[in-house]
Order: sequence, then C-alpha cells, then structure tokens
Amino acid sequence: MDGIRSWFDYLSSRTDLVVETLLQTLAYVVTVTVAASIVSITVGVLTRHNALAKELSLSIASVFLTIPSLALFTIFIPIVGLGFAPSFIAMFLYALLPIMRNTVAGLDSVDSSVIESAKGMGLTPNQVLFKVQLPLAWPVILAGIRVSALLTVGISAIATLVAGGGLGDFIKSGLARLPLPNSLEAIWTGVILSLVLALAIDVVLRTVGRFSNPSGVRS
Amino acid sequence: MNPNPQGPQLEENKVTTPKISLRNVTKTYSGVDQPAVKDLDLDIASGEILVLVGPSGCGKSTTLRLINRMIEPSSGEIIFDGENVTNSDPNELRRRMGYVIQQVGLFPHRTIAENIAVVPKSLKWPKDRIRARVDELLELTGMDPNVYRDRYPKELSGGQAQRVGVARALGAEPDVLLMDEPFGAIDPITRFNLQNEFLRLQSELKKTIVFVTHDIDEAVKMGDRIAILRDQSEIAQLDTPEAILTNPADAFVVDFLGSGAVLKTLTLRRLRDIQLVHPPEITEQTGRADAAAQLRQSDFPYAVLLDDTRRPIAWVDQKNLDSSDSLDSNSRRIPVKLQPEDTLQEALSVMLQTSAGMSAVVDGSGQYLGTCTIQSLAELLTDQPVDGASL
Amino acid sequence: MSTTNVVDNPETLPARRNQSVSQLDLIVIPVFFVLLAILLTVVWIYSDFDGTTTSILEPDRLWTQAQEQITVALWSTVLVIVLAIPLGILVTREGAPRLKNNLVTVLGLGQALPAYGLLVLFFVAFGQGTLTVVLALAAFALLPVLRNTIVGLEQVDKSVIEAGKGMGLNGFQRLRKIELPLAVPVIMGGIRTATIINVGMATLAYLIGGGGLGITIAAGLKLNRPVTILVGALLVALIALAFDFIGGLAQRYLRPKGLS
Ligand SMILES: Nc1ncnc2c1ncn2[C@@H]1O[C@H](COP(=O)(O)OP(=O)(O)O)[C@@H](O)[C@H]1O
Ligand SMILES: [Mg+2]
Repeated sequence: MDGIRSWFDYLSSRTDLVVETLLQTLAYVVTVTVAASIVSITVGVLTRHNALAKELSLSIASVFLTIPSLALFTIFIPIVGLGFAPSFIAMFLYALLPIMRNTVAGLDSVDSSVIESAKGMGLTPNQVLFKVQLPLAWPVILAGIRVSALLTVGISAIATLVAGGGLGDFIKSGLARLPLPNSLEAIWTGVILSLVLALAIDVVLRTVGRFSNPSGVRS
Repeated sequence: MNPNPQGPQLEENKVTTPKISLRNVTKTYSGVDQPAVKDLDLDIASGEILVLVGPSGCGKSTTLRLINRMIEPSSGEIIFDGENVTNSDPNELRRRMGYVIQQVGLFPHRTIAENIAVVPKSLKWPKDRIRARVDELLELTGMDPNVYRDRYPKELSGGQAQRVGVARALGAEPDVLLMDEPFGAIDPITRFNLQNEFLRLQSELKKTIVFVTHDIDEAVKMGDRIAILRDQSEIAQLDTPEAILTNPADAFVVDFLGSGAVLKTLTLRRLRDIQLVHPPEITEQTGRADAAAQLRQSDFPYAVLLDDTRRPIAWVDQKNLDSSDSLDSNSRRIPVKLQPEDTLQEALSVMLQTSAGMSAVVDGSGQYLGTCTIQSLAELLTDQPVDGASL
Repeated sequence: MSTTNVVDNPETLPARRNQSVSQLDLIVIPVFFVLLAILLTVVWIYSDFDGTTTSILEPDRLWTQAQEQITVALWSTVLVIVLAIPLGILVTREGAPRLKNNLVTVLGLGQALPAYGLLVLFFVAFGQGTLTVVLALAAFALLPVLRNTIVGLEQVDKSVIEAGKGMGLNGFQRLRKIELPLAVPVIMGGIRTATIINVGMATLAYLIGGGGLGITIAAGLKLNRPVTILVGALLVALIALAFDFIGGLAQRYLRPKGLS
C-alpha cells in the first residue's frame, strides 16, 4: 500500500513532466502509425496484382522487425544525429509489417465474386478498389494498425537512449538514480504509463473500428 | 395408429442376441435442462444396417456417440456382444468399433497408409500384417494402393477422403461400424456412387452398422431397418424401410417421410414381386387382320411385337396395323428391356420415356416374360393407402 | 505466404513472423545479411579510428560481447520453451477455457510492455548479473511462445481430434500424435519470434551489467563516436539476422509433411 501511495505522490508532484513525456510518446505513436499506415497500405494496394512484389515487400518489412531495437535506433545516428529523427525512423520501420501484412490479407480476402459483380456493374478498377475492396478490407487493416500502434508504445521506451524523450525517460532516470528515493517510482511510472497509454489507444482504435467499419461487415 | 411402433422385427431379434443394446439410456449435457437422449431402448442386430434418421438436433449424433462412449451416458446401460460396457475402458471399446464422421478427420500429417494403420498399430499388430491390411483395405474401397498408399490427405478429393475414412474405420477388423452422416458433405453424384459401393462392400463384410443421416432417401436406400427419431431421440417408428413407407406409425412419420413417400416404395419393390400383364403377342409372320382382331378383343391399346427368339421389339397399335409400312420401323420400338430384378422405380422411368405407358420384362436371356403397365403400378400404390395420412 | 488465418484477430497475432515461412524469407534475410556485412566491412576499413574507437572496437572485446549476448539469448530461449509450451498445453486442456481466453487477451496487450522497463524492474528485484538478464528476457519472450502454443493447439481441426478419439487414442496419445505435430508450425513461429526478441533484448543487458554488444553501442553514444555506434549496431543486426535465418530453416524443415 505504501508503495502505491508513494507512487501517486510521485506522480502528483510532477504532473507537468508526466503530461509532457506522455505527449512525447503519444506523438511518436501517432506520427509513426500514420506514416507507416500510409506507406504500408499504399504498398499493399500497389502490389495486389503481383504475387512476387507482394511477398518481397512483406519479407523486407519483416527483416526490419528482426533487427534489435537498440541497433535500429542507433544505426541511423551517423546520418541523422540524435533525438526524434533516429527514433522515428526505427519505429516507423518496425510498424510497417503488421499493417502491410493485414492490408495484403484483407485485400486477398475480399470475395472475388464481389469484385466480379462490381466490374460487371461498370465500375472502373479505381472505383472497385476504393468503393469495394478497401472498405471490405478495412476491418482487417485496422487490426494491423492497432498491432503497430501497441508495438510502437512498447518500443518507444528505447528512444530515451538516443535522446529521443518519451516515457522511457522515467525508466532511464530511475535506473540512473537507484537506489535513491523516488527512483523506483520513476521506473514504475515509465512502465505503468506505457500500459495505460496502450490500453487507451486500444480503446480508441476499437471505437474507430466500430464506427468506420462498413455496416454489414463485423470483424 | 400402429399399436407397435417397434414393428415385428423385434421379436425376430429376440431369438439371436443383439450385437449392441442401449438399455434405458439417458444423456443430459451439462448446462442443459432437457436431455438430448431420453430413456432410449434400442437393439441392433448382428450384421444389419440400422439407420437413425430424424430432423436436425433430434439427438442422432448423441445416440451414436453414446454407443462408442465418445460421450458418457447420464444413466442407462450399453451392452456390446452381451457384455455390459457402460463402465469398461472406453479407448479399448472404441478400437473394437469403427467410427466414420462427416468431416472424415484424416490426420493431415500422416500418409494414407499411416492413417489406416492407426488402430492396428495401437493394437500392436506386426508390421507386415499391417502393411498387408492397408493394401487390402485400399483395394476394398476402390483406391489403388500403389497410387495412394504414400500420399497425404490434402491430395485427395472429398469422395476419396471418405473412402479412406471408411478404410481407416475398418482397419483392425471391427465387427461394428458407427457412421455419422458419412456422405453428407459429398456432391450428389459421388454420394450416389459411394452409397452403392458401400452397400456392395457390406454385402461381403456383413458388419453391424449404425448409420446416421437426416436424409430419408438415404435412409431408405441404406437401411435394413430404419429408426425414425423425434426430439430427445425418441423412436417414432423402427422397422424395415418398406414397412415404414407403406405403413407409417403416426403423423410425425408421415410428415417426415414427405409427400414422396408412396413413390419411394417403388424403389423397394421389384418387378418380380408384382403380377405382369400380357397384351397380345404378335410376330412379323402374324397376319395383319389377325393381329388387329387380337388387339381389338384385348383391353390393351398395344400389342407386343416379338422376333423369332421371342425378344420384344416394339409396341404395335391399330394405326400401325392399318398402314402398309413394315411393323418394326413405324411402331414404338422397345429400347430398354427390364428384368425381374429391376425396381418398380426403374420400370416407371422406362415407361415414362417410351410414351407407350408400358415396359417389357425379359428374362436373363432376353426372352419376353410379360409387361408392366402404368395402371398396374397405380393399382399397387392405391391398394396400400397410407394409414397415418388421415390423422 | 507469411500471412495466416489468424491475421484478423489481433489478440492472436504475434508481433513478428507467424507460422509459415515464405519462400522469399530465406532469400531476403541472407541478402540483407550480406548487404549489412559489406557495410560493416566498408565502415571498418575506411573509417579513421582514433585511439578511443580502436580500444572500444578491439576484436577480442567484441568477440566476448557477442558471446555474452548469444549465450544469454540462448539460455533465455531454452527457459521460455521449457516454461511456455507445457503451460500452453495445460491451459488448452478441457476444463480451462476461461483461463485460456483471458490469457490470450492479456498476452495480446503484452506487446505494449516496454522491454526496457521490464529489464530494469527485474534488476531492482534480482540484482545485477546474467541470471537476472536471462529471467527478464524469458519473462518477455514467454508471451509469443505461450500465445502461439495456445493458438497452435486451438487451430487444430476438431474433427481430426474427434476421429483420433473415435479410434481409441487416449488424451495423451491425441496430444502427442495429433495436436502437437499439427501445432508445430505455429509453435515454431513463436519460438523463432522469442529467439529474435531475446537476441534483441540482450543488447539492452548492458544497462544492468549483463554485458553484450550493447556496451559497444552505449560507449559510442556516450563518447560520441558514430563509427563505434554503427559497428556495434551492425554486429547486433547481423547476429539477429543469422538467428532469424536459422529459425526460418527450422520452421521450414521441422514442419510435418503433408500440411499444405
Ligand atoms: N456438447 C454438447 N453440449 C450441449 N448440448 C449439446 C451438445 N451436443 C449436442 N447438444 C444438443 O443436443 C441435441 C442433440 O444434438 P445432436 O445429437 O448433435 O443432434 P443431431 O445429430 O440429431 O442433429 C441438440 O439440441 C444439441 O443442441
Ligand atoms: Mg448430427
């Protein structure tokens, strides 16, 4: 009980810092997820008729996920320096695969008879894509976006090691000051706020899903 | 109402002990108020195909799965070969009964041969006996062992997969086969073939078979006896297909049989069972005037034209006789000749094709025996009014 | 295809590759490996090393760090396999469906757990040392293996299990002869993911005195030596790619024949 009390004391005595760091992490999640969604969905759409290109993009995207986070966060430092840039690039590369994979799977799963009948009604290929395929694939794509967003929350804690800020700052400063007072509280703050943020993002994306899925399609 | 829905067969069964008996069996699934099977008594005779048929959800599968104890009865007893197996080792029991399900359930990571060998292997048969048995079973179910032995299930069509399913169930020579809608997921033409092959197989193997289906036509075709079940696996009627079709026990059975029930009896009766009629017989040598006189004296619109060896060639009517053309060119030829073993259903379809409304019946050497007419079929059907229909 | 049937259910979607190995994976990974190896060679040969850089990048030292990193990752993977697979089997047995469903949901959100924070919390609880690192890594990498074991066992066609039961196979035989072999591709996918997570997280071991190539990267960061950072990062990436390739091969060749 004491631990929890002192943790709340810790939080309430520095709400400004907490909010600022939380917003930094949120900024990463939003920018990374949006950028990765644009790129991944575009790649998924452009390669939809070419099995080789499709497989190749998925394979490359999954290689990025293989590379350890500290390596991927630091590998671009010689080119772009420290801070937001290398962190953003690393998380962007990580976030590609889940969205791309689900875009491909979502587009593949659209019943070919539906596409046939849309063509039969005289829709152009672009109209078929935007009015039929993408809306039907959207629930699956959104599930991929959700995975990427959660992944980004977890990995963004590393950004602090390359001076990128975010909730990892609490963990780093806590570790550095161990075993001084408030060091443990700082570490827990980093971990717990990450999970809280993940939960909040999860709720938001599920709600988005509920309102944006075409009626008649329930994921 | 038929006072005894179990029919006359039960008395016969008492003479020889039944292969399997369910005694007062009840099954209530946990979390469900109503039992799925309630107080069921059922005897299955050795060597028969007993079909359990009834509407979806009436408890057919539950009943079947109680027999090999895939599920445990809430109360009651299961007797197998005179032995109470209600509390025996279920796995040992299952190895003595083949089990075939609609989805087949072949092991996808095992070859066809390995699939068929599962039970023999658990019974520790020697290797060469297993190998010989696998090939024998593949032959028996119409699959070339050299082609299919080492294939994997994904390389089979639905019909082939179920052949292997049956072969696997027969693996360790069980006396009993339990089959739950085995041909239910197979296209109609393949199903028709599998049913026929299976009946042929059974005429050699003489297994005791409990066969579940929701399709009354399949039940009539496959069953030596049929148990028509209603909710909670209550037996509405248990009898031979013919007895059920001609004498349904109550309105439920009538309903379940559907409007085609009377016509279905045609698939069970054979030409040898009915009285053939004899329209005038003429040959090319018979004088036209003579033939015309014979035809006029008879009640028939046609005479049958026979060749020198008494094979039927054509139906001849008054108009043919009046014209000067040769008889066999102008008249209604008889392309299909029926034999006494053919069913009345087949006789009917031949009649409908020839428009003469008659079909000629010949013996094995092709010699004319007599004629079956639409009228004789109609009399047969109306002679046996459906009792329950008036309820 | 690296896409799978569970893809529309995020709760059951492991972060990395899932179950089947794409033909291309086994080509693309080596290609990346070679490209990064060439880059490393070029950096090594053409950069001017000052004294500090030379001493940090001393080959003996790098070799020791690489060994530490791999050792920690392997032990943790072994621990994960030993814990997660039996646990996954246990919760998928009849009678524990509630536990299983809750577990799958929790494991899905576990992706958002910061590995960095977990490592530090383990340090607080167990103190400095290799054992702490192994335990922390195992705790984190447990998630994908446990999840994939559950999903792998659950996705086995129920009619196949039913047929096995109907042939008199007992519960243990059904598990050993049917369920586990058919779950192998999915479980292998989880193990491969866990290995990669472990190799990656072992880079952070330096933070709590666990050694590894993270030391080199951190030194480069602290002393502002970009070449050092790059060499460390490239070495770590090469190790991870090598393990992923081995995992891909294993996934490909340990897959039961007959599965499409
Ligand atoms: N495992 C089960 N748990 C609860 N109820 C079941 C279970 N299996 C079947 N039932 C119920 O028992 C009844 C009979 O089912 P079943 O024997 O499968 O019918 P049928 O094979 O004739 O279609 C149905 O009402 C069904 O919903
Ligand atoms: Mg059923």
